[in-house]
Amino acid sequence: MYWVSVVTEAGIFAILALGLDVIWGWGGNFDLAFYGYLALGSYMTFVFSIGKPTNSSTEYIIGWHLPVLLSMLLAVVIVVGLAAIIGAIALRNLRDIYFAITTLAAVYALYLLVANYTPLFDGFNGVYGLINPGQAALRLTYNGYRIVLLVVVLVILMLAYLVVQRLSGSPFGRMLRAVREDERAAAAYGRKVFTAKYRAYLFGAAFAGLAGGLFAIFISAFNPSAWTPQELLIIYAAILIGGRGNPRGVIVGVFVVYIGLIELTRYLPSPASRPDFSPALRQVLIGLLIILMLKFRPAGIFRERPGVDPEQSPSLAQPLPTVAPVAEVTADDGGAE
Amino acid sequence: MSTFLVSVGVGLATAAILALSAVAFTLEYAVSRVANFAHGEFLTIGAYVAYSGQTIFHQNVAAAALLAAVAGMLAGLLLNVSLIERFRGRSAITVFIATLGAALIVENVLTMIYGAANRSYSFVQGGEHHVGPFLWTTSEIEVIISALAVAGLLYLLLQNTRFGKAIRAVSQDRTLAQVSGIPARRIVMQTWALAGAVSGFAGFVLADTIGTFGPTLGFSFLLLTITATVAGGIGRPYATLGGALIVGMVIQIAGTYTSSAYQLVYAFGLLVLLMLFRPNGVFVGRSATAVRA
Repeated sequence: MYWVSVVTEAGIFAILALGLDVIWGWGGNFDLAFYGYLALGSYMTFVFSIGKPTNSSTEYIIGWHLPVLLSMLLAVVIVVGLAAIIGAIALRNLRDIYFAITTLAAVYALYLLVANYTPLFDGFNGVYGLINPGQAALRLTYNGYRIVLLVVVLVILMLAYLVVQRLSGSPFGRMLRAVREDERAAAAYGRKVFTAKYRAYLFGAAFAGLAGGLFAIFISAFNPSAWTPQELLIIYAAILIGGRGNPRGVIVGVFVVYIGLIELTRYLPSPASRPDFSPALRQVLIGLLIILMLKFRPAGIFRERPGVDPEQSPSLAQPLPTVAPVAEVTADDGGAE
Repeated sequence: MSTFLVSVGVGLATAAILALSAVAFTLEYAVSRVANFAHGEFLTIGAYVAYSGQTIFHQNVAAAALLAAVAGMLAGLLLNVSLIERFRGRSAITVFIATLGAALIVENVLTMIYGAANRSYSFVQGGEHHVGPFLWTTSEIEVIISALAVAGLLYLLLQNTRFGKAIRAVSQDRTLAQVSGIPARRIVMQTWALAGAVSGFAGFVLADTIGTFGPTLGFSFLLLTITATVAGGIGRPYATLGGALIVGMVIQIAGTYTSSAYQLVYAFGLLVLLMLFRPNGVFVGRSATAVRA
């Protein structure tokens, strides 16, 4: 059962990573608010489905008794709504570091608000109570339910992969990459830069909201300690290792990083007097992985394979080789300093 | 004694520390064109090394402060040599992500050594004094005076010495400075050492002022530092002092009249507003990462 739980969690993070890869890998926006979308998706799934607070010391908003699937759907809608606000503000004028810092400030403000303002999601106590929804209706044992949950997560991951893979080669996917490589050139060719980035941002946020809902069912409780802004870095490390912009690489990256790190640190001797030792060591390894990958293999294990227009005839594709190197050179120049 | 003036007084102490951290951050940016996300860790390192040193030096505040500065200086040198210089020529966002990785490493190495639980110094804070309209503790007065002294020394250093001139030259154009016979690489290294030392000292006084601190001390303060830097204008050391004053006042005064738990919320709200409405005006628009490409 241990492995069932590890793989389920990795699967949920893989869905999250696929969404983030659309924003960062394809669109080139280093978003630090992203984990907040998972958190909001999780919180909203709880408050839509677990009903009113049962005792007077806890408090949270809404408290409806909706079916879990409907709650997850509504949660995704609300997450996309928040992303629509943050994205509209941050994507319009800000690039690169300024975008990253602004999104970090936004998510950190949200984090402090949720942690301190108890009427929202009960502050540091968080919300809980979504324990194996539907277990009785499906007549499953506890273990059977966890296995079914794993299968559901993997099926959703597969579907998400197919959608993203299809989108990758689509005109939209190619436009997004063109915008990432050279905004001005893309704009000069009549592409609407902001709209492209914005749609990618909302699309990615929807994945985060969905992953949040699954996470809610998976861990049955959610509080601020589950979403410190640092949690997002493990996802970025996974994308860097698997291959930024390559959906298959991203999924492999998440499973490798997530399971690899857990297994590696599980067998390390951990001083009993230092409960913080192993988790801290994991974070150190993540930091090292990020730096080493950026330095020595920024493309990751699986290189990005840019989508090719299937309708493009060979004769039309002919002039491309002479154009492509030039485009690459300008992109490099634009990136350096 | 009105609540308002008390919070202004505390705000001035906060602003003084913020000014030190922000000037160091902006110096790093000026010579390397890097938004150093690991900057906050210089402060954390300073705070922890002073913590380890306080028992050795028998509660001597000056010795602890010096120790923090030396530790910060070494950290600044190390980061410059092992990371920043090796990523030279890479895009600004790539270096930014790399420093994020470095911040994660430092914070968690400190957690491995000291544990995640909060620590506190055992220095005497001193009684409260009325200075003009303000009410300060002895250590708050020491913080303000020492921050002003360090800022003044930095000003003299940048304005009146060959080293300061070289820093300004390198920050304008590193290649041109190199061609003109300035040892650019060494100047950049020395600037990072200087910025690290100032940050390490700032980390010590910050931890001493707050009372307790943990491994995330620097990370939380980094966003405040960035807010102050943006408010003043990144890459412009003197204007940064003004930025620090604005941010220190806003969070203290707003925090006093609502709840101190929301202080950082105001700061980050201010940062988002600054980014949106004064991005080109406050950032010197020379950098390739300039907003609105």
